[in-house]
Amino acid sequence: MDILRSIYEVTGFIVLIALGVAALEGYFYYHFKFHDRSWFFPAALLAFPALALAVSAAVTGGFQPRLWSWFLMAELLVLAGFKYAVKGRHTVPYLLLAPAFVGLALLLVYPFVFEVYLSFHDLKLTTIMMWKNTGKIPFAGLDQYVKVFTTSPLSEVSFWALLGRTLLWTFSNVFFHVAGGFALALLLNNAIRFKGFYRTLLVIPWAMPQVVAVLAMRGEFHSQNGFVNIILSKLTAAFPFLASMGIGPVQWLSDYPLLTCTIINVWLGIPFMMVVILGGLQSISSSYYDAADIDGASYFQKLRFITLPLIKPVLMPAVTLGTVWTFNNINVIYLVTGQAGGTEQADILVSALYKAAFTYNRYSYSAAFAIVVFALLFFISVTYLHGFDAAKEER
Amino acid sequence: MSEKDAIERRRTVKYLLIHAVIILAAAICVYPLLRIFSVSLRPGDKLFSTDLSLIPDGATFKAYASLLKDTMFLRWLWNSLLITLATSFIGVSLASTAAYAFSRFRFPGKKAGLILLLSSQMIPAGMLILPLFLMIMKLKLMNTYLGMIIAYSVSSLPFSIWILKGYYDTIPRSLEEAALVDGTSQVGAFWRIILPLSTPALSIAFLFNFTTAWNEYLVARVVLFSSKQYTWTLGLFELQGQYITQWGMFAAGSMLVTIPVLAVFLYSSKWLISGLTLGSVKG
Amino acid sequence: MASVQFKGIVKKFKDNLVLNGVDVDIKDHEFVVIVGPSGCGKTTLLRMLAGLEDITGGDILIDGLRVNELHPSKRQIAMVFQDYALYPHMTVEENMSFALRLRKTDKAEIGARVDEAANILQLQKFLKRMPKQLSGGQRQRVAIGRAIVRKPKVFLFDEPLSNLDAKLREEMRVEIAKLYQRLNATIIYVTHDQVEAMTLAGRIVIMNHGIIQQVGSPIEVYRKPANLFVAGFIGSPTMNFMHGKLALDGEHLRFSSGDIKLTIPPYLLHDPKKHDGREVTVGVRPDDVLVGRTADGCSDKVDGVLEVCELLGHRENLYIKVGETRLLATVEAFFDRSPGSAVQVCFNYKNMHVFDKVTEKRISE
Repeated sequence: MDILRSIYEVTGFIVLIALGVAALEGYFYYHFKFHDRSWFFPAALLAFPALALAVSAAVTGGFQPRLWSWFLMAELLVLAGFKYAVKGRHTVPYLLLAPAFVGLALLLVYPFVFEVYLSFHDLKLTTIMMWKNTGKIPFAGLDQYVKVFTTSPLSEVSFWALLGRTLLWTFSNVFFHVAGGFALALLLNNAIRFKGFYRTLLVIPWAMPQVVAVLAMRGEFHSQNGFVNIILSKLTAAFPFLASMGIGPVQWLSDYPLLTCTIINVWLGIPFMMVVILGGLQSISSSYYDAADIDGASYFQKLRFITLPLIKPVLMPAVTLGTVWTFNNINVIYLVTGQAGGTEQADILVSALYKAAFTYNRYSYSAAFAIVVFALLFFISVTYLHGFDAAKEER
Repeated sequence: MSEKDAIERRRTVKYLLIHAVIILAAAICVYPLLRIFSVSLRPGDKLFSTDLSLIPDGATFKAYASLLKDTMFLRWLWNSLLITLATSFIGVSLASTAAYAFSRFRFPGKKAGLILLLSSQMIPAGMLILPLFLMIMKLKLMNTYLGMIIAYSVSSLPFSIWILKGYYDTIPRSLEEAALVDGTSQVGAFWRIILPLSTPALSIAFLFNFTTAWNEYLVARVVLFSSKQYTWTLGLFELQGQYITQWGMFAAGSMLVTIPVLAVFLYSSKWLISGLTLGSVKG
Repeated sequence: MASVQFKGIVKKFKDNLVLNGVDVDIKDHEFVVIVGPSGCGKTTLLRMLAGLEDITGGDILIDGLRVNELHPSKRQIAMVFQDYALYPHMTVEENMSFALRLRKTDKAEIGARVDEAANILQLQKFLKRMPKQLSGGQRQRVAIGRAIVRKPKVFLFDEPLSNLDAKLREEMRVEIAKLYQRLNATIIYVTHDQVEAMTLAGRIVIMNHGIIQQVGSPIEVYRKPANLFVAGFIGSPTMNFMHGKLALDGEHLRFSSGDIKLTIPPYLLHDPKKHDGREVTVGVRPDDVLVGRTADGCSDKVDGVLEVCELLGHRENLYIKVGETRLLATVEAFFDRSPGSAVQVCFNYKNMHVFDKVTEKRISE
């Protein structure tokens, strides 16, 4: 019964969305068709907000003057847009784009703006009920931003420590991803047997559901039952001199959480880089290597002067993506260090942000924190892309 | 002759070395999966042994049985499947038309739209969870499928649009022109010619949407709170969670969700990779 | 079948003028080839007729009906694309019947028409295949078949043979000629290959820089090119050009270009006095450059040096340097002289062309 009801619920929702899309298309279609008629401006200004209001009244069960004024303003904007900017041209592309961009506006742009709004107010566990019932939150000005730099997002670690840790985390991960991926891709790019089979095995960490992969790896780092410590203790038993060098089983999860997370994430991330680089390597025509052989280049010279420059157009976007992904990687850290009561020693900016919001319930604080992190990432990306463009033009 | 032998020997050594390194790397990649498998087969009293053998003594499927019987694992899978299918369907439909507009038409705002898509990739994933969570709360959709679908549906949209645009760009325009001469409208040409031809790219986009939503954990964590509504990621985390007693069931559940995903992934990996390179390189 | 008229067609892409006032009248049942170098606007003109390109200025009429704003499918035309544009996800049969199915023609009629077209093009065996499984020539035939099935008023061909290899191209050229005789339709055919134009056309339209250079039958444009561009574009190998000046010497006009001095007979240029002192370009096709022999109506002899010989089989190309001018002569095979030797050259007056240097227009008869 439950299953039937869930199917019914979801299909109903999809039908609702389809109806919404149809309404949207119809709405824009009539704007395209009649935007230049003299009667259309006042008629549309009356008809569409009234219609929207009727629908919203039916759904929410009551007249809402604020909603009405929003609709009125939106309609005015759309009308003005058609009269002065679009002028009824380019009907087809705008109709094709409308659903996707309304979706993006509602679920990407609006949340973003809402986040900015939150960051200037004070929403926390004590004020959230008030917000839920009345829609009002106390104004806080720049307080949240000041707090981001002065108080700890969690219980002890400071913003600056988190920033440093994030940079270290991002850099070391991307470095090992590229180095490991490159090495494996070079090995696989030889004419060897079982190539396809090896490749299949090597992409398994990427192919596994991340939650399973991370939780499984976390198990392997368990101090007693984990594979890593079992191997370490067997090694020290067999070769006692290792123990004297300080090598032995350790409490990975509580003593070295960041290192553990890094090892796990490197394990997870190498296959993607390997696949991308392998694709790039295979697209390099072998005639370049033949020519280099005739010119008498050694293996490393070929690597340096042919492979690297030719792989760069494939590698750069992958590295850019990888950097952003690693910077934003909450999954690994959150899943490894757990939720409340977990250690803070492995947290990076984004995981602290998530924990501040949902473990410590400091909503507005985390919003301000998020804006700061976004600004940081934006700044880094823009600088980086500028450098990338400049490098592109040089070539 | 002897020189030839030396070259031959060196080549053999090189090959053996390459194989050895790759096999070691492959072992590291596969081992955790095999370990889960082995743990899932362990009888209840040996869960915490330090035994490293793959098939443990007294191997049993009891963990699987109790997982399916004593927990709501099937229900979790069903929840995940429903949410994921719905979001992928919505995401791909929206992306397919938007990508077509970007690929074939010139219109004011095209560049701005593409920049918006690209820069949306820069927004930290964790950043939008909070406002979405508050929106879903305000819409009274907490702990529902709809809340999850709303939260997921546009998350992969920019990437899907990008992939599909790249693919549409490779389809010659003359096909649509021929269709126009044959008597379709612009939209008809898209529906009857471009969409059927784009099945590979649509599958990639669908797969991408699917895996993203299927493996999602962080949003589910804050939107869903009754175990009946859990997705499998939440359920699995719960099993491993603080009470390490459920280790065997966790392993069994992991195997059950991993094997189909792995199969689909390996089957489609060639497409997926070509799609990724298409999206990134062509840019 | 139908007539087609272009009236003062103008096309602009942003600030780039692609077509500048094109006027052509194409009569019913005519096979017209539009030829010109790439970028001359010929394909744009065809696409405007098909309705695939907006018209910036002017009118296009099919059967006297203005079609400027008509949807492509309502213009009763069929088009064969350069890359064939066969729908890859449909079989040959589905490709050919697509337009009819869109128009909801009844099934029996569709079947009959597809069979008829398949018969004409010998495609019966391939009806169930996908385009991917066909060779280039077969795909070409399917593309033509798709056009035939619709029984259009006008057939448009957009460089249909340019993706085929040389041998197939010749075969298909003959096919298309046969098809024209059989269908007796109005055909407008765009190409950059002047051989196709010469062999297929009833009338040739030669375009350059968005302007029509000359319209006429193949013989007309070959024998009497209207200007320097047409003279250089039509005919293979290319016409020889000599740049020089005319001067009145007693009764006769004398042309001089470096070491080359020729008398221009009055039947070539009437009223010699009018041309005294005019800067001109004289053109002679390689066939009309006579080496080591004379004929009736031949010019004065000129001394030159043989630089290179190319044996083509039954003909031979001779590259001859006369002073600073290089001339190409095509003669009967086995011209028995080694490179470097001196040869005497004269030109056949009957096929000599004189163009004004400034306007590039033909001034000789």
